[in-house]
Amino acid sequence: MASFEFEGQSVPFEDGDSVASALYRAGVCTLSRSLKYHRRRGIYCGTGDCPNCLLTVDGLPAVHACTTTCGEGMRVERPGGWPNADRDLMHVTDSLHRVMPVGFYYKTFIRPRFAWAVAERVIRRATGLGTLPRTTAAERQVVRHQHVEVLVIGAGIAGMEAARDAAAAGADSVLVCNEGPIGRGVAPGPTRDRLLELVSEVRSLESVTVLEDHTALGLYEGLHVPLAGDGVLVHVHPARVVVATGAAEEHGVFPGNDLPGVMLGRAAAALAGVHGVRPGDRAVVVVRTDEGLEHLRTLVDAGVEVVATAVSAELADRLPEGVGEVVLDGEVHEARGGASLRSVVLRRDGRGKRFDCDVLVLSLGFAPRDGLARMALPSEAVSVVGDAALRPDVTGACGHEGTVCLCEDVSMHDLEQAWDEGYRNAEILKRYTTTTMGPCQGAMCGRALSCFAAERTGAADAAPVNDVPRTTARPPTRPVTLETLAAGVHEIVDKRTSLHDVHVTAGARLDRSGGWLRPFSYGDWREEYRAVRERVSLMDVGTLGKFTIAGPDADALVDRVFPCRTDDLPVGRTRYVLTLDEAGYVMDDGLLARTGAGEWFLTSTSGGAGRTDARLRNFADRFDLEVHLLDRTAQWGAINVTGPHSRDLLARLTDDPVTVPYPGFADITVAGVPCRAIRSGFTGELAFELHHPRRRGPELWSALADTGREWDMRPHGLDALELLRLEKGHI
Amino acid sequence: MALEVPCPNCGLRPFTESTFGGEWRELDAASAEEDFARVYLPENPEGPQRERWFHAMGCKTWTTLTRDTRTNEVS
Repeated sequence: MASFEFEGQSVPFEDGDSVASALYRAGVCTLSRSLKYHRRRGIYCGTGDCPNCLLTVDGLPAVHACTTTCGEGMRVERPGGWPNADRDLMHVTDSLHRVMPVGFYYKTFIRPRFAWAVAERVIRRATGLGTLPRTTAAERQVVRHQHVEVLVIGAGIAGMEAARDAAAAGADSVLVCNEGPIGRGVAPGPTRDRLLELVSEVRSLESVTVLEDHTALGLYEGLHVPLAGDGVLVHVHPARVVVATGAAEEHGVFPGNDLPGVMLGRAAAALAGVHGVRPGDRAVVVVRTDEGLEHLRTLVDAGVEVVATAVSAELADRLPEGVGEVVLDGEVHEARGGASLRSVVLRRDGRGKRFDCDVLVLSLGFAPRDGLARMALPSEAVSVVGDAALRPDVTGACGHEGTVCLCEDVSMHDLEQAWDEGYRNAEILKRYTTTTMGPCQGAMCGRALSCFAAERTGAADAAPVNDVPRTTARPPTRPVTLETLAAGVHEIVDKRTSLHDVHVTAGARLDRSGGWLRPFSYGDWREEYRAVRERVSLMDVGTLGKFTIAGPDADALVDRVFPCRTDDLPVGRTRYVLTLDEAGYVMDDGLLARTGAGEWFLTSTSGGAGRTDARLRNFADRFDLEVHLLDRTAQWGAINVTGPHSRDLLARLTDDPVTVPYPGFADITVAGVPCRAIRSGFTGELAFELHHPRRRGPELWSALADTGREWDMRPHGLDALELLRLEKGHI
Repeated sequence: MALEVPCPNCGLRPFTESTFGGEWRELDAASAEEDFARVYLPENPEGPQRERWFHAMGCKTWTTLTRDTRTNEVS
């Protein structure tokens, strides 16, 4: 039998098992310890909505055990707990509730000043969802773009119907499901039958692309929806988005609501109906939804003894046989137990009755997974369908005690305390108590928080349900790895000069600089520096921005753009110019050369070429100037010949005079290549920038390098240039 | 919601091809105070705003348009 490794032990699993179901079968009921008070937590939602089953799988922390399929040889560990999650001495914090109230770290450890430094270290160790893998070899993830008419997020019944309707209307669509295969984990029953029927229908449609195991992270301007898949980040650019993320089952708030053994209907039904694991021997079930009746039947069929069922009156006549004592309109007053659930008190009309049981199954209602829906601006391009469009019912009872936020360990008591301290609406209660800010992003606690705020402010009575404000939703909707966020970063397009191969052959260390791949050193940067200072050296400066400005208004444009005088510059001369923004900050610098009447040549820095181009064109447009602007950055290469012997070197290779004035330029032919030689000063030595047609770069370089041997020439990279520039006083 | 920039050369193009050039401002300021406001005090309106866009990943043309900052509707 296949097995995986769980904290040093081998746990067998069956085909189709999730990590959580295999552990449950093996008798592991405590799947994690809560963030702050180290309370035991077991399977709860079963649908990847709650934080209870976040385990470390193969070194990756915060993996939902309930939606992760078992694999042979997987390594699974529980984070948190000391020495381990089963016997956790840090559980003592639960009884220190009084000294660690909500926001205690804002109020304590203030003096003496070293107290916080110490406390922070302790708190960091005691909390958290596990440790990040220490290996640096993160797996590279690729980026893919997809343009499509309709993107349907969520492959439930509503989502698949939307994809089908889109296909019927002739639109191609992408249907994305955050797990796979679609319908996995849904217990047998009418819902599953309908799902599977739709799955086969949708799969047969050619215009529907089904993406399983992809999670939509957010809804961005554009429209643009990033989907995180296994090793891939898909940027979808749809014309329309259908949000069909469905709803999670409602989180019940009552004392003991987070005991292992208390679980939502879908989790219990999946254990019993899909994985063949009985969630418990004696169950108390609360049914308030049609779906809950399906779950109840699944439990009864699996042979779970149901000792009591609390059911809402309108569903009572559809109850199956053998569901124990029926409590009409009963609600859970309290769940009791130690390491796991032992009994439940059901209450009706103010009278409670205790039932001994080891599992409590809750189907209380639905909390829409509306994170994405709440990110969308009201627009025709985004529609929300199915359960995701439900408005959470915040008018009902909020619960009087118990854990509200499972992720951040916030109890009803904490909310009340925050309220008393003056945090009196949902948004600031959220910020102060961190409710809804955990991995589940409010899937469990969002309704309870809104409900609490509504009840306290009286909004529940005064305003219609729809007006009760929900807290703002922001991306990402689901936890996402840093690798995913960094996907595609290594795919930057590196611009290369025509001399790239020459540098590679010379053994240069190339790296990115200003969007270009440039040589930093050819081996010994000190020797390169000396070559510039004492002899002669070459540098590839083809990366410089190069522009021709011409036309009737060219003089007016350069006069407008640059803060210095330009009208007195004679033909053949250059001037150092700054490009400033409206506030006077330096955006870029370069050399401006007057090349003729109404004709200019401008160089800019390698990284600032784009900014300079935009600035010139903006001025031409705003002042309505008639100019031609030609960006010759890619068209021309440039080699800086610098050092005391640079003029001697040029003289060997040209018949033209090399008495180029400073600051100025001359058009000369070097080694048969037509060049514009611009005198530059940034190395601090005699220097000529040879601007030439790009494709003739290698030819020019090798001629210069060959002739330069006479002076023991060696090229220099950016490392040597840094020192040269520093000594010149440039930064 | 989908923001498209009307380029005088290329027609309606996705905004990702363009860079934002700030609020449109009169360039000739009458006084130093006005000039200060032009540079440092953007209106930042909630509603229609005249603004500049540069088709940086396209034809490199500047354009002025009016966009509603709430809905991204370009008129």
